Amino acid sequence: MADNPSQQLLDMWKRQVEEGTQAWLRMMGQAQAPTAMPNMAMDPQAFWRPFMDQGMAAWSKVMTQGTAPSPDLMAQWKQFLDQWIGAWSRVLEQAMGTDNFAQLMSKQLEGFLNVSAPIKKAAEQQIDASLAGLGIPSRGQVTALARHVAQVEEKIDALEDKLDRVLRRLDAGGAPRTERA
Amino acid sequence: MRDELFTMMGEMPAMSAELLARMREEANRNLLRMKHFGEMVMNPKEPKVGPTPRQEIFRTNKSRLWRYESRRTIRTPLLFVPNLGISRPYIFDLMPKGSFVEHMTQQGFDFYLVDWGVFGEEDNGLTVEDAVTKILPRLARKALESSGASEMSVLGYCMGAPLSASFVATHPEFPLKNYIDMAGPIDFAHVGLFGKWLDPRYFDVDKYVDTLGTIPAEMVKMGFKLLKPTMDTSTNLNLWWNLWNPDYVSGFNALNKWANEYLPFPGEFFRQWVRDFYQQNKLIKGELMMAGRRVDLREIRCPVLAVGAKEDNIAPPACVKPLIDAVSTRDKEYVELPGGHISLIAGRGASVHCWPKVASWLAARS
Repeated sequence: MADNPSQQLLDMWKRQVEEGTQAWLRMMGQAQAPTAMPNMAMDPQAFWRPFMDQGMAAWSKVMTQGTAPSPDLMAQWKQFLDQWIGAWSRVLEQAMGTDNFAQLMSKQLEGFLNVSAPIKKAAEQQIDASLAGLGIPSRGQVTALARHVAQVEEKIDALEDKLDRVLRRLDAGGAPRTERA
Repeated sequence: MRDELFTMMGEMPAMSAELLARMREEANRNLLRMKHFGEMVMNPKEPKVGPTPRQEIFRTNKSRLWRYESRRTIRTPLLFVPNLGISRPYIFDLMPKGSFVEHMTQQGFDFYLVDWGVFGEEDNGLTVEDAVTKILPRLARKALESSGASEMSVLGYCMGAPLSASFVATHPEFPLKNYIDMAGPIDFAHVGLFGKWLDPRYFDVDKYVDTLGTIPAEMVKMGFKLLKPTMDTSTNLNLWWNLWNPDYVSGFNALNKWANEYLPFPGEFFRQWVRDFYQQNKLIKGELMMAGRRVDLREIRCPVLAVGAKEDNIAPPACVKPLIDAVSTRDKEYVELPGGHISLIAGRGASVHCWPKVASWLAARS
């Protein structure tokens, strides 16, 4: 298998990624050895390595199936990427399904609301004041008008509904309504 | 490393005719990829969606009832109730040969579509109750009148299923012939990630609605994109892979247009939808009240078909299937088909699995 050119390509790519990961870790100021301090608060390799191993296993399987390498390297590469993305998707889904993530997201969104609410209010007041000075109706006034129009339309529709009900009863000759069987 | 590469190239197998043909094909495909990419970037064309001819039958506020052209050989008309807000309904009539509406009308169904419309700030007072007890009954009656039929089948898709199920269960006077739930959540205890994120411990829906009023389309988009963060990467990868195929490109353009058009939620609708359905799961528990009437799914006594999608992460099969046990009819069936929430009803797979199943089930009972 070591003589298989596809396997050699795979091994070479794997070496490159390992070296890249080590370089990234050095940049992040962490220990080179995979057996980093176990009490570290954040160990990126613990997160990264399962994907690597999974991706490697998937590509290795794809590349080494059969006795000769398939000429359709692009299709194999695409297949590898699909599996890689699928693996990421599954792990992210698991992470996002935890209570911790839900709590984190809740805090983020609440922070956004706390910040945006006063800004939005202040901006609206300023814009309303400017528009009033120019004699132009504000957004709130236009929205209120649209709401009134919708309410009038609803009243007309409700009247039409009542009229339909009366007409149906008249058509039925005043017979009692029958329930669905 | 460079030496390793040159060494390896000497060991590569000799080029066979098959390999040469494959390489030639791949080179040709790469040229077509570049050509189509150039066209998409330099000369983007607005995709034509909604090809099936239709007529507006009725309009109330922002909502419209559409009737699609059909031979109308099947006696019982069909009312299709999709989700309110979130996305545009033309996904169901996306393109020729890729349209659920087209398929059903070609089968002879008199097809009516509820288009809830795009609600604005002035509609923030609209509630789920208004949708279920005012808008939907009105549109359903107009559809019945327009068709001239004495009974009607109703199909609810996604959010449209709990909305339409609530409508038919609280309006026994409506002459319902058949009911279909397509990827519509009924038991919200099993809705997956949305259920977790909207949990009342983490999501204060009152604060959201009181602060924002209308839930903006960007926020709705963010929520759905977060469900599948790798979707865009996967989509772009598949686009690159299939960019040589002009049919794929036109399908992608149409679907991409839809996938980036999100709609806002009216504030009060969002409040009631999250609180009564996601957080308190009132529908399956029989605790949901609409205009003073209890929504009892046992009132649905007509034939029922529930369709779940195997890879659906918005309405997983486990939240769709409970409808079958909740209704009191004996003629009921649950099927689980391949696909995700959207691909169940739109796309090549849908035309193979879902559309024929729904059409044949309905035709046999119409």
